[in-house]
Parts: sequence; C-alpha cells; structure tokens
Amino acid sequence: MIIIESAGITDIGKKRKINEDSMFLDNNLGLYLVADGMGGHRAGEVASNIVVETISNYIKKLSEDDDTQEFNIPDETLSSKANHLISAISLSNRIAHQVSSKNEAYRGMGSTLSAVYFNKNTFIAANVGDSPIYLVHNGDIELISVPHTVIAEQEAAGSEGSRQLGPEFYNMLTRAVGTDETVKPDICEIPYFKNDIIVICSDGLSGNVTPNEILNAVENKSSKTICHYLIELANERGGDDNISVIIIKIKSAHSNTTGIKWLIWRVLEEFKYLFIKKRV
Amino acid sequence: MPLLTLKFKDNAIQDFTLQKEKSITIGRQNNNNIVIENLAVSGHHAKIDSVGDGFVLTDLQSKNGCFVNERLVTSHWLKHGDIISIGKHTLIFEYRQGEVRPAVPSGDMDKTMVMDTSKYRDMMSKSDSNTLSPRMKKNAPSGFLSYLSGGDGEVELEKKLIKIGKDPSCDIVASGLGVGRTAATISKRPNGFYLSFVGGMSKIKVNSKVIKESVALKEFDIIELGSVKMQFFTKE
Repeated sequence: MIIIESAGITDIGKKRKINEDSMFLDNNLGLYLVADGMGGHRAGEVASNIVVETISNYIKKLSEDDDTQEFNIPDETLSSKANHLISAISLSNRIAHQVSSKNEAYRGMGSTLSAVYFNKNTFIAANVGDSPIYLVHNGDIELISVPHTVIAEQEAAGSEGSRQLGPEFYNMLTRAVGTDETVKPDICEIPYFKNDIIVICSDGLSGNVTPNEILNAVENKSSKTICHYLIELANERGGDDNISVIIIKIKSAHSNTTGIKWLIWRVLEEFKYLFIKKRV
Repeated sequence: MPLLTLKFKDNAIQDFTLQKEKSITIGRQNNNNIVIENLAVSGHHAKIDSVGDGFVLTDLQSKNGCFVNERLVTSHWLKHGDIISIGKHTLIFEYRQGEVRPAVPSGDMDKTMVMDTSKYRDMMSKSDSNTLSPRMKKNAPSGFLSYLSGGDGEVELEKKLIKIGKDPSCDIVASGLGVGRTAATISKRPNGFYLSFVGGMSKIKVNSKVIKESVALKEFDIIELGSVKMQFFTKE
C-alpha cells in the first residue's frame, strides 16, 4: 500500500517566449513524466507534448486492459512494468521521429524524458537526456538518472578533456527522444520507503538550483509549496529557461509488519474521504 | 576550405589552408604543422580539429594559453574573422570568398541541442587520446555475490533488481525461519548497488548490521540472510 502526495508545476521562466516543457502526473497510475523539448519555432513544444501524451496514454491503456495483450519483452533483466515503460518510450520516440521526418518545420526536433513509474514495492526511474531525477532518502539527495550530455559522459569516462570543452558543449545532449530512429533510456528500479521524496525537473531548475538546495527545500513542506518555492528560486536567478518540477512524497509505504495498522489506517482514510465529500 | 594566416605584429608570415577531416597542431617544436619559434609558445601549444562542417581550436594545456579575440579559451568553435593569439603571434581564421560556412553551432548557446552522434565520434577519434577519451562512457562495473555458505559459486548481479528471499522465483533463494518470500532486493543504480530490506521477520544483515531500509554496498561487504552468507564484489 502506498500513499503519495504529489504536485507538479511547469513555468515559462523569464526569457523564453514559449514553454517547451511538458509534464504529466497521476497518482492512481503511479506515473510521473517531465519532458523538455528542443527544436526551432514551436517544434520543441510539439516534441515534448508527443512524448508525454504517448507515454501516458500507453501506460493508461495497459492499466485498463490488464494483460489481455501480449508484449514483447525488450529487456529480460527488468520487471514487466519497467519493460512497459521502455515500450512506451520507444513508441513515443517512433512517433516523434516520424512527425519530424515528415514535416519540414519540425525537422530535428527532440525532447528529453524523465519518468518515474511505481511498481508494487519499487519505483522505476527512466531517462533520456538531461532532465534530472533525484531521490531524497534519509536526509541525502542522490541523482538516480544518468545525464546524457557530452560533458557528463566525458567526465564519466574519466576524461581530462571534459574540463577543456567549451561552452558550446554545455547544453549538448548525446541522446534525445525523437532525434533518431531508436532510443535507449537509462533505467533503474529502486525500492521506496516511507518519507522518501522523488524530484523530477527540467534543466531550467537544475541549472540554477543545486541538489543541496533542493534537499533543503523539500523538508517539512507540502509538495505544492516546494514546487512553488523552487520555481520562484530559479526565476529569481534569471529564469533563463523553462522550469518544470514534479515533487513526489511517499507518505506511507507498503507495510510488511502488520495488517492491523493498515486496516485502521484504511478505515480512518475512508472517514476522511466521506467527511471531505460531504463538505464539498 | 578556410585559411589561417600567421602574423607577427602586423606582418603576415605564412598562410595555411585547413582541410576537412584533418587536424593540425601549433607549437614551438618542429613536429607541429604550424611551427612558431618563440619562447612564449609551448612545445605543443594548441590544435585545430575538423569537426563535422566546422573547426574547433583546443588549447593543449599550454603554459601561456590561447586567446581568441582577446579572450582566454580552452576550446572554441572557429568563426570567420576570429583572431587567435599565441604568444606574440596571431593566427587569423577566415573562410574564402563564396565558401559555404557552417551554421554556427554555438549560435544560440543557451538552447539545448542534440549532438550528431557521427559528429561526436568524429571528434573523439580525431582528438588526442589523452585529451578526449575515445570511449563514450566507462562501462559500469559488474557486481557479483559469491557464496560463503548456503550455496556455491558466484552470482552476477545482472538484473536491475535482484530479489533475495524464500520464494523459489527469487534470484537468490535463502531458507530459514522467518525469511520473507522476498526478503530483500539489490538494485543497480547509476552510482552503484544498493541493498534494501523488503519484508519478513528475519532481517537481512550487511557486515553483521541489520538493514531496515537500504544501504549502498561496498566492496567485500558480507551479506547474511537465513541460511545464506555471501560476499559482494565488483569487476570492471
């Protein structure tokens, strides 16, 4: 049993004329997406939209149809839900790529994608591009996505050269959804615990606010308050890009010890629900 | 193809034509393509690589640095009319009249772009092996658990999520009183392997310490659960 309190805000920032970020959140599906589009004119907006719409629709459909369909398993070492997410990402890549190759105005468009999808006792984190996913656990913040940028990959390879790469490489991605015929997300599956907080954002936030500042911001506030605070902070520091952030707070995780606690809690929650409903 | 004009003060000394898919080096030693005999110039001072349709100047950790249009650079996409200063010499980068100039990749630097993968590989292969690693990415080390008791051999932690427990479907099966069906999991994250407790009365231990939530596994940690005792290690 998992109870999530989540919120997400996307903001145009202070310098851009359009918001090319797209996002999706649904506590019932347990699916959270941030996509940061790129490409001239309105192409970035189109790309990030295609990605978010395709993935959320695909996962929605799967959860409604149960397992009436047969799925190909792209990766045997992953759980079936992780495989569903990979299939959804591949599909969104195919669609975005088709749109861009058929339409001159959208040529070369692409989008990052960072996704969190909840499984029974774990959550799956998948990403393409540089929109970070952080996990806050026990007072520590950890990047659980893999940044697909030239600089980060050079650093990861232990290359001396990464320090010498000029500013034109700072925003250079090595992977994006929609730019090639296929795409491979980085993926991991992590058990969650009560009080864990997951943060997904676009580089409009992570470029201006450090992980430690995010860590300090997420304690003892509601998800919505945190989102507002972080977006304001990034805007105060220039707001040079679109800013999107999703905060996922795990209020109650699966309880392995007792059923009785859960039962009492369920009953209380039911009451709360009735009470609120009546008032509305 | 663009031209580099070497000048000392106001006097043009020599012209060099840059070529696509060729790199040139600049320095004091004779084995450079452009030799500048001046003590302010390092042995191998800088290089210019052809990357895609453009050219990139890279400083080779020279003592006195490279300047482009009076700004210190470590790496710079050359544009028409750029003036490179090395010591007291200058090199002027110019396209010939009517020559197609590449779209400036840094034209809108705050915009994110995707690097053409072939361009990326090109750049890697043409650059010095110690400046830019030809390997795109260091392969993450593989994790292993080797049995100390309760089993034989070693288990490679291939899956992103490895299950340990009583249930036969688990990747590592442990028996014993109170061991959960899935007692614990090990997940592979970008920065390593993490062991997490899932359920059961009998708790999993790492180095004799009970794990109630999750812990990052370190080299040679000892994991105990029910009948099973294993040691964690990694291999490149």
